[in-house]
Amino acid sequence: MTNDELTQHLAGLPVSLLHRLAKNRVHRHFRMGKTRLIQSLLALSPGQRAEIETTLTSFLQEPPRSSKPDRPAKPNPQPDAPPRPAPPSRHHHVPTEPAIGTKALLEGLGVPPPRPFKPDDWQRDAIDRLTTTDVILSVPTGSGKTYVAIEAMRRAIEAERTVIYTSPLKALSNTKLTEFSQLFGADQVGILTGDRRDNPQAPILIMTTEILRNLLYDAASGEIDMRLDTLGLIILDESQFLADAERGVVWEETIIFAPAQSRLLLLSASIGNPDEIAAWINSIRSTSCHLIHHRNRSVPLRAAYLDPSGKLAPFFRARDIAHGKGFVLHPETKRLFANYEDRTLGPRYRR
Amino acid sequence: MSYLLTGHRSVIPTQLLHESKSPSIGGLLCAPDKFLLHFPPFMPPAIHPVDLLHVLRHQRLTPAIVFLTSRRACDEAIACFEHRQNPIPPTRSAAITDVLDKMTAEYPSIANHPLIPTVQHYGVAAHHAGHLPSWKIAVEELMRQGCLDAVFATTTLAAGVDFPARTVVITQSSVRKDRDITELTVNEIQQLAGRGGRRGKDYVGFVVVTPSPYIDLGPIANGLTNHPEPIDSQFVVSYPMVLNLLKAHSIDHIQPILEKSFAQFQLNQRADAYETKLDDVETQLETYGQRECADWIAQWQSFSLAKKRRSHHRRKTQHDPPEISAQLAFLTPGRAVELSKDHAIVLRQYRSRGQGAPMLTVMRNGGRIIEYPASAVTAVIDEVIDVTESHRFPWCTPQSLNHAIETLEQFPARLRRLPIRVNQDGADNPVLTETLKDEFPCPTCPSRPACQKDHPQALKLRQEEHRLTKTIHAMRTELWHRFQQHVEVLQKFGYLTPACQLTSEGDWARLIRINHSLLITELIRMGAFEGITASLLAGVLASIAHDDDRPASFPGRHPALTSTLGQVRKVAHSLSAYEEPPLLRWDVAAIADRWIAEPALPWNELIRPTTMAEGDVYRLLARTLEYLSQVHGLKATHPGLAGVARDAMDLMRRDVLQELP
Repeated sequence: MTNDELTQHLAGLPVSLLHRLAKNRVHRHFRMGKTRLIQSLLALSPGQRAEIETTLTSFLQEPPRSSKPDRPAKPNPQPDAPPRPAPPSRHHHVPTEPAIGTKALLEGLGVPPPRPFKPDDWQRDAIDRLTTTDVILSVPTGSGKTYVAIEAMRRAIEAERTVIYTSPLKALSNTKLTEFSQLFGADQVGILTGDRRDNPQAPILIMTTEILRNLLYDAASGEIDMRLDTLGLIILDESQFLADAERGVVWEETIIFAPAQSRLLLLSASIGNPDEIAAWINSIRSTSCHLIHHRNRSVPLRAAYLDPSGKLAPFFRARDIAHGKGFVLHPETKRLFANYEDRTLGPRYRR
Repeated sequence: MSYLLTGHRSVIPTQLLHESKSPSIGGLLCAPDKFLLHFPPFMPPAIHPVDLLHVLRHQRLTPAIVFLTSRRACDEAIACFEHRQNPIPPTRSAAITDVLDKMTAEYPSIANHPLIPTVQHYGVAAHHAGHLPSWKIAVEELMRQGCLDAVFATTTLAAGVDFPARTVVITQSSVRKDRDITELTVNEIQQLAGRGGRRGKDYVGFVVVTPSPYIDLGPIANGLTNHPEPIDSQFVVSYPMVLNLLKAHSIDHIQPILEKSFAQFQLNQRADAYETKLDDVETQLETYGQRECADWIAQWQSFSLAKKRRSHHRRKTQHDPPEISAQLAFLTPGRAVELSKDHAIVLRQYRSRGQGAPMLTVMRNGGRIIEYPASAVTAVIDEVIDVTESHRFPWCTPQSLNHAIETLEQFPARLRRLPIRVNQDGADNPVLTETLKDEFPCPTCPSRPACQKDHPQALKLRQEEHRLTKTIHAMRTELWHRFQQHVEVLQKFGYLTPACQLTSEGDWARLIRINHSLLITELIRMGAFEGITASLLAGVLASIAHDDDRPASFPGRHPALTSTLGQVRKVAHSLSAYEEPPLLRWDVAAIADRWIAEPALPWNELIRPTTMAEGDVYRLLARTLEYLSQVHGLKATHPGLAGVARDAMDLMRRDVLQELP
């Protein structure tokens, strides 16, 4: 077969068959689109190419209905059985609305006029709950977890209780130190690191979670130089670190040994099972644990695709990113990306 | 060529954006620095950083955070902006200078940062782990003040990027983790995308996806729209944890504490799911009802096993078809039999060597002595002649052979056949079952047919039941077992008494709550740190603390450090069964050593001869400080060593390391 013939034959095949041909012959074939697959199949060594041609002829001789030749033929459905509903396809359901244009995508950009800050309902709810229960906040990044933390701190200080705020990274501790010092005054905020203690008598103490864990161990063995009995609130920022392979155990230890009288406030990015974590904390602590979990961003997010040529297109068919409902890529984005893949298959980039 | 294809106006090769990590080129993985100067010709194009920023500005999508694959890519993206034509307006430059001046007053190490001119003129900056924390704080502050148009950051630091922007630019769908390329998870993509859109400053936030060699649109689209993955506990039992728990609680109270962990919570949930399955299996088992014996499945199992074993013993008879085995009792020497054509006299019965099939040696007409399988016999004749057997061919004495030949010739054509009753219901050998009667009640049990019928299915269920019970038990006790393993090691090394109380050694060892704690406490116990200098101690601890294998070099090797590290390596090796040995790199040890040994050494001089990024050196020293402070915590029991650690800490905290708490 000449190159052209082979290309023509291959182009006539469904992509799934092409993937079957490329299996074990082309590296990372599953990442390729159709064009790219064909290109890489053409570039194979003569021996492999002969194999492909034989397989290809066998495909071509097969009746066209067996588009899935590796699956056994299904038994005929019972004549009286109701027709099975088509399985919901995630990527290819028929879009009902027309795809939006780039102009519509970029509509409404700009800076909103300054208006007085008004906390959301869930933020108020979280702060109120913290007087009686532990609270887990699992909300999208940037939707105002810190506001809850600050208000909770303010209330704790008013009640003459101390607050410990932990973050996973020292860099974040430093940022928070600056931020809280501006809000509460430098004398109200202290920081503890492995080798240094700045203002350790302050009502708000910032530290990494490891330091707090060590404090709790010291308290358990009775040699405590910190006043944990007045500790009213422990805030664990970025608590999705619970799943960190190396350090996750520290968050567990901290939550297990947290003093019973102090409330826990866990701030976490969106995770899949916040309810499970809430159930866990509920089961091991004397106070109950309230979960606040939502996925609404305070600033809506849209997605765009930027081609290397500088052309901007909407990423999805719909303007706003919908969660958990599947997605349909914008046709223009699909076209541009397919072009990009084709281009990157030029002789220059092929190996 | 790539510029022609993409219609680029730029002169700088677009590949600059990407540090090549193509797994097909082995050399690139080992020594990226050497190869990157030649732009790999096979890299597909990506948008040029200058063009990218141009588009973003044009569409009013700034400020933006651009996530790139590597630190190098970030630095090179910034380098692209140097000597460009259109800088930002002077008023904005002035604002940036103002903020930077303010930051410099607080953190002097920013003052001479090489990126400052680019930041001032073009309003772009790089932000990644290779920079000093002070620089990162400055960039974050600039971003918060709205002075910058774009920050180029690495994906790996997404959690540490604590500043929002209007737009997030994603250029990759996979990242390199531990020398492996993995796809970004939904959690990670949402963490990246989450930085887009500033509350109170934007109506909408944007995620801009732009292609690069490391991109596939599927995972990104999935990551943007899908639900994030659930997280799992990563609970590990460590030696300090065991010591600290046993300090505060007696061993009897440990198990309830471990059961409070999220790990156990999740294990319990899985175990509960198995329990439901187990209940299901048990109900199925109950449908078989009561049998004569309490545990009929086991009883029947051992009965059938015994049967099998016995029958195995008599394999030869057992495998014969019933009609043959019925005949065999009659085919004794001297028996007349009917073959397909004529009659013959049996001389010998034996078993074939290979298959153990029943065989006969017969004498046919004319004294021919032939061997046949027993199945060749078509009928047994009711006639036996006297034959005296012998052990060798022809299997009988010559006299009796002659007699047999004569008798056979005189046989009439028709002879009376012997009727042989074949035992048809012979699935069980009656004889065998009879012999098992004494050991098992089964042969005579009234529920025997039911047992025989149900047994295969019931046995499967019973095995499933056992498997589930075992799994559930393992899940409920896994953590406790891991804890006990650690206890045994600590007892072996003498940190715990056999009664699981802390020894005097354990009492101080529990204060070392860092990675490689066993190695450090063992080194202290064996006196490896006796009379050590502050710089050497810092060097050793730095090499224990540093767990990054990013290549680096430092020309500072000296014999004392090398020999001490050699000793430490030996100890670490001897402990490798109980604790993963650290990398113990001498180059990082030499950096920490030099920083303390030369108290007048400025930061720039320390950084200059090494290929390590200054952010990495900072982190190395900060971690060493942490380790030193742990050693300093032993002042009650090891005042000398703690004093050396204190000295090392004091010497270490200067210059850049003094800036942040």
